[in-house]
Amino acid sequence: MNELKKGDKIILTSGGCVKIEKELGRGGQGIVYLVDLNGEKKALKWYLKAPDDKFYKNLEHNILSGPPSEAFLWPEYLTRKQNGSFGYVMKLRPANYFEFGNFLLAKKSFKSYTAMLAAAIKITNGFMMLHRHGYSYQDLNDGNFFIDPDTGDVMICDNDNVMPQGEKSGIMGKARYMAPEIVAGGVPDKYSDRFSLAVILFMLFYANHPFEGAKVVACPCLTESFEKKFYGSEAVFIYDPTNKENLPVKGIHQNVIRRWPVFPSKLRELFQQEFSQEKLKNPNQRMVDTLWEKQLIAIRDSLVKCPHCGEETFIEESSTCMDCGKKIDTSIKLKIGTRTILLTKGTKIYIDIDNQPDAEVVSHPNEPSKLFIKNLTNYGWTAETPSGKIKAVDPNGVMPINPGIKIAFSNTHKGEIVRD
Amino acid sequence: MIALNHECQGFSHIESGKPCQDNSFSEVDPKGIAVAIISDGHGGKRYFRSEVGSKLITGITRDKMMSFISNFGDSNLKHVSFTSRKSVKTQIEDEDFKKQDKIDGAFRQLFGSIIYDWRQKVEQHAEENPLTEKEREGLEESWIRDFLDRENLEKVYGCTLIAAAFTPSYWFAFQIGDGKCFAVNEGGQWTEPIPWDDRCFLNKTTSICDTDALDEFRYCYEGDGKIPVSIILASDGLDDSFGSEENQANFYVQILKSLIKKGKFETEKDIREALPELSKKGSKDDMSIAMLYDEKKLRNMYKIFLQWQIDNLSHHIDEQNQKISEANKIQENLESIDSPTKQNLIDLQYANKDYDRAIDERSRLQERLTTLKEELAGS
Amino acid sequence: MSLLDEQVSVPRRTMTLFFLIDTSGSMEGNKIGAVNDAVSNVLPMLDEISAENPDAEIKVAALEFSSGTNWLYSEPKLASDFVWQDVRAGGLTSLGAACQELSTKLSRSGYMKSASGSFAPAIILLSDGGPTDDYESGLSKLKGNNWFKAAIKIAIAIGDDADKDVLKQFTGNSEAVITVHNIEALKQIIRVVAVTSSQIGSKSSTAGDTTKQDQVIEEVKEAVENIDGAEAASSVDSSSYDDDWD
Repeated sequence: MNELKKGDKIILTSGGCVKIEKELGRGGQGIVYLVDLNGEKKALKWYLKAPDDKFYKNLEHNILSGPPSEAFLWPEYLTRKQNGSFGYVMKLRPANYFEFGNFLLAKKSFKSYTAMLAAAIKITNGFMMLHRHGYSYQDLNDGNFFIDPDTGDVMICDNDNVMPQGEKSGIMGKARYMAPEIVAGGVPDKYSDRFSLAVILFMLFYANHPFEGAKVVACPCLTESFEKKFYGSEAVFIYDPTNKENLPVKGIHQNVIRRWPVFPSKLRELFQQEFSQEKLKNPNQRMVDTLWEKQLIAIRDSLVKCPHCGEETFIEESSTCMDCGKKIDTSIKLKIGTRTILLTKGTKIYIDIDNQPDAEVVSHPNEPSKLFIKNLTNYGWTAETPSGKIKAVDPNGVMPINPGIKIAFSNTHKGEIVRD
Repeated sequence: MIALNHECQGFSHIESGKPCQDNSFSEVDPKGIAVAIISDGHGGKRYFRSEVGSKLITGITRDKMMSFISNFGDSNLKHVSFTSRKSVKTQIEDEDFKKQDKIDGAFRQLFGSIIYDWRQKVEQHAEENPLTEKEREGLEESWIRDFLDRENLEKVYGCTLIAAAFTPSYWFAFQIGDGKCFAVNEGGQWTEPIPWDDRCFLNKTTSICDTDALDEFRYCYEGDGKIPVSIILASDGLDDSFGSEENQANFYVQILKSLIKKGKFETEKDIREALPELSKKGSKDDMSIAMLYDEKKLRNMYKIFLQWQIDNLSHHIDEQNQKISEANKIQENLESIDSPTKQNLIDLQYANKDYDRAIDERSRLQERLTTLKEELAGS
Repeated sequence: MSLLDEQVSVPRRTMTLFFLIDTSGSMEGNKIGAVNDAVSNVLPMLDEISAENPDAEIKVAALEFSSGTNWLYSEPKLASDFVWQDVRAGGLTSLGAACQELSTKLSRSGYMKSASGSFAPAIILLSDGGPTDDYESGLSKLKGNNWFKAAIKIAIAIGDDADKDVLKQFTGNSEAVITVHNIEALKQIIRVVAVTSSQIGSKSSTAGDTTKQDQVIEEVKEAVENIDGAEAASSVDSSSYDDDWD
């Protein structure tokens, strides 16, 4: 055993060393320790059984290249090989972030649909950036994500399995999260990552695995050969419109039965496409990360605060509140490029993709029926009235919601208020 | 390993003409794998086919457990020390909520397959056996719809489940709903290895027909070579007849002593006689019991069980002594007051009553103690 | 040797009946007198129910609350043993404190035995006013108590000044609040409610059908129809209020 103990000093390749303070947790591959690096608290992941040289070199390379985006809890320092193994140092995970698995078991739940969508968008964006940097993740599973239930902010962990595309880290992931072709023995790549991303997103929204329905639960013991069938060669999406043999079962798949009708039909269609037999068998047809991001943003744009009851609700054709059932006036909208954002009182508007609300629809204190957009950013906007007057909207300032007003939020984001 | 089981119609069910809604099962297969299962169909009118539900589930559970044992057991459970898991909801409230591992995943799979198969068979049963006129009597409109629309069909067949399995290298047990599982080790110590679920309280219980049934299963397993000498599963009809766990364990000690002295055949006969009587005196409810025991280990435990009963009784006698001396103190204090208030007089009256009761109870216990001590001396 | 010989005891289960009595200043005079009279008269009836019932024995506990709270005895007593000591009125209406106190005692470390040795308790709350303390936090604690959740809960509102909304929250059912408008009705209702709750509460139930509380409400409502000055519905016709309290 090469476990470390309190007070042990581990030397880094960059010079200097970290001092072990205590164990924070352990998994199959190794232990995470709280360590001290020159007075700063960090986390050290220490492998119980040292992976091979190639793995070590890959880590070294990734540390040099830096994280693809700030969502990644990326390796920062590599340790020298010592005590028969090695490890790497990363930032500590803040206490208000909880493992994805807790959300699946409903130990933690998102404060709002907004937070849920923020998490989905952040995860998608993280993978987009990862792939842009030429990496693939290899072992994507529910243990990799830590989420703040209030804001939906995400940290992506265990980034030691990130490899240049086309190479195999040698660490086998969980079959449940692997694309069918990987379950069958293929090498993970960006296509299989796309599949894993779709699985993670499905689980985030519906708290159920997309292939775990009647077929899977009929079996009292999931042996490896069954796993290979259910997640690989014979995988069937639980809501596959052309095949009803794997529907969710009451008493077992309660989350997805409850949530499937709640989210917009657009989201249902997306998953039905992504998990169709055609796309399962043809990895290169799977939706690219950027498109996922775009679709998720469109879904967030259809999420409004109900002006009657104050609850969040998705607006589809019917435009009635999911909660109180009252009709919501959705005639007035903000168009930004191809996006359409509904303007109802209390709705927060996300203009860019940083998951921070940039604007909010507020009402006049004396005239509740009169609505305004409030600037929540720390920079000014410029608005052009229908008659051509140019107005400035300062941070914390408001502008009336009148059809025909054009707004330049920034050089890249321009919008217009329209009425149906 | 030897297995036995029995269920009987409750006293109140006999009176009202309701069928026995409990079901039990036990067997030892040629490979030495022993299973015991009980199920208690819910009593309310809404659950008007619960006796079918409980019969279905014992059979299904047996098959699924066997398949689990042959596919998963040995390689994964061997050498694992005793572990127990609460239902997911109670786990969630727990600070030391543990991450689910491979074994937990496998148990979840087993439970899911039981729920699924049970639902399939329930549907099949409903197809083959349409609602009869007699069944309709006294049913609320919405319950009839549960059945006809198949929307909440499972409610009609609702029941609980407790099961245990011993194999040569490990054992496990699981449960949804009320009823109790007791285990005794070679030292004669009793435990309830499956964690309790606080949602089972008085006449409320979790159930296989609940929408969150999968999360309501709780279980335990052990593969480090320590296997209970006996494990006994019983429905709440039995639990509710004893008032305390210790009292119930004492009944089981009587059964185990009888097994040692008279063997399985005679003891089964005694159980068949005892349960209806117990139901009449106690809960009035249906009763089922299923147990597994290691007859070789059990053989040497007669004295241990006797000693357990003696210790138990001695403890109760101490309690009565305590009560007697407390009452005494109050009596002395109050009798020394010259002009007692009304409250003083009432308190004295209570003290006198407590004193008399404790004296009676003590002599009753002492009589029993004498019998047991004689038995110990003679054995 | 039979399995059920003298070694094995099969004790009767216990059903505890709780009286929660408002003894605030406004109860002074013939209201409190009527309560004392009614409760002491109903005890022998409860003893009878207990003696004839093979399922369970009935125990009684009583908590009075005014500016503070006070249990009449430090443990529930058998109905046959319970000696009623007249309570006296004076002070405020600390219903919240009473809820807190009740919640503490509704536990195995308090007045209750194991669940398998018990039936759900019956709780009768009598009040003629509104709470003067923070009843909401006390009541919300009590509502989280499993014994309380399972209990038969009936409230008797004495006159129109009783805060029926609060009593409704306590019982969780507006139909479980009985309003009485004169002394005779109060006495009769205490008797009917205590007897009915004890009869139904101490019987083995058939799980899942109507709750015991609903059964009690049903029977009490029937009885109420024959008692002048008592009404089961939550709505109050103030014209029927006899101003005969003092």
